[in-house]
Amino acid sequence: MSEERNIFRMLAEIDRRIIYLLLFIVVTVPILRPIAMPLAVSPDTKQYYKVLNSLGPDDTVLFVLDTEFSGYMEIQSGVLASARLIIEKGAKMAIACSHPEATGIPPMMFSYLRDVMEKYDYKYGEDYVVLGYIFPNEAAVASSAQDFHGVVKEDWRGRPIKGTFLDGIHDWKDWSLIAIFSTGVRSDAFIRHYGLRGTPMVINCIGVMIPTTKPYVDTGIFKALLPSMRGGAELEKLINAPGPGLAAMDCFTFGHYLVIFFIIIANIGYFGYVRRRAER
Amino acid sequence: MTPLDLIIAIVAAFLSMCMFSTLYGKSSPLYALAEESYIGFGTGLTVVVNVLYIYRTGILGIKAGNWVLILGIILGIMVLFRVHPKYDYIARLPIAIALGAGFALALRTTIFTGFLDQIRATIVPLFSGDAQTILYRWTIALCVIFMLTFFLYTIELKGPLKWSATIGEYMMYIAFGAIFAQTFMGRLALFVGTMQYLATPPWKKPILVASMVIVLALLIVLDKTGLLERWTPEE
Repeated sequence: MSEERNIFRMLAEIDRRIIYLLLFIVVTVPILRPIAMPLAVSPDTKQYYKVLNSLGPDDTVLFVLDTEFSGYMEIQSGVLASARLIIEKGAKMAIACSHPEATGIPPMMFSYLRDVMEKYDYKYGEDYVVLGYIFPNEAAVASSAQDFHGVVKEDWRGRPIKGTFLDGIHDWKDWSLIAIFSTGVRSDAFIRHYGLRGTPMVINCIGVMIPTTKPYVDTGIFKALLPSMRGGAELEKLINAPGPGLAAMDCFTFGHYLVIFFIIIANIGYFGYVRRRAER
Repeated sequence: MTPLDLIIAIVAAFLSMCMFSTLYGKSSPLYALAEESYIGFGTGLTVVVNVLYIYRTGILGIKAGNWVLILGIILGIMVLFRVHPKYDYIARLPIAIALGAGFALALRTTIFTGFLDQIRATIVPLFSGDAQTILYRWTIALCVIFMLTFFLYTIELKGPLKWSATIGEYMMYIAFGAIFAQTFMGRLALFVGTMQYLATPPWKKPILVASMVIVLALLIVLDKTGLLERWTPEE
């Protein structure tokens, strides 16, 4: 009995550093040696794909990087797969940032997508423009919804946007779609000043935002939601362009198994030692 | 791979592993180095990007004849008085204007996006659509009713109301579990994304592994020699 209690005690008091170390190993090893486990596509991602797949050459997308750099790591698969799909559909794309750190993302993004941009002859000014950091606060978002050229006159390098495809954009109703890639910095302002007026919007957000963002899909403000890195991986699968998302799914699977394992272990320890001790 | 790419990969991998040194369970100078570097980098970038933003939207706008923007620049300068203890009251005016404008812009629409539209989305036909849709709609409708009864504070909960409140309470536990799982998935994704960035393309993998080994070895050596605590700057 005494030995049994000791085992329970050991399970209840596992050193957290062992948990960190195991999680670190379980996540890092599949990155260094990928396994490519199977992946099912969720209805959320199918809906997101349907919205982006319906775009055509006459459409203009406002591609909003509403993220700091650390958060980008979670949604980069969604960002890259969405941009690839938009380029393949021939839709025009204006890339805007609402966080100073997001200004470093477009060059990385286009470096990764160079092959598809060359294949579809996707050119700066004609097909896409990088606007840089133009949405620092709610007032800027609200103003751009009413008078876009009153707020934005130049691209990120100081070149005038006049003469580009953005000449056709005046206010909220001229955008075919707003695609937000968010860690929660400014997406609420877009909901209030674009979504509520009727501009079609989709969002790829980080995991912690999903429960609070999903109700906006139910209300129709967001046409679709791409959930976290998992959604990005599913989109990569749908467009047949494996990228960082699909490569990360092995780590996710093993990481989740490990946490389930520790939840079971901790509960055994709790009922076998902590609770019994409290009852005594 | 250019020499610049190599330097970026080495610095990124080493500083990231220094950040993860917090998992060792003790404060360390390596963690402090990474943390202070990030704060410095973040502050510098924010200042540069925001100054450029003010130039592009403010100064160029004034040059183009939009004189009202001068008022914005003046208000912006007034905020800087906040750093001076004697004149910091001057900063209150622009802050009050910014807060007032922000609240007004947000509140006039939040009533729709955060309240009315959500109620409208909950009141949906319960008997139309396929079996899955019907199940989802019933689940949402019942959960709303059960959970709302849990938050009835002005009457004593007895009989069916008590049952409803109890079911609502357990449904909330299920919701908390789901939110926790989403949060864990999100945090894991951040970690996985960072590790992927440090390990892709494949030539970065040895740098990542070397950084892990070096940081762990440094931590152990510093800990054994008693330097870990001595070299860690005070908070």
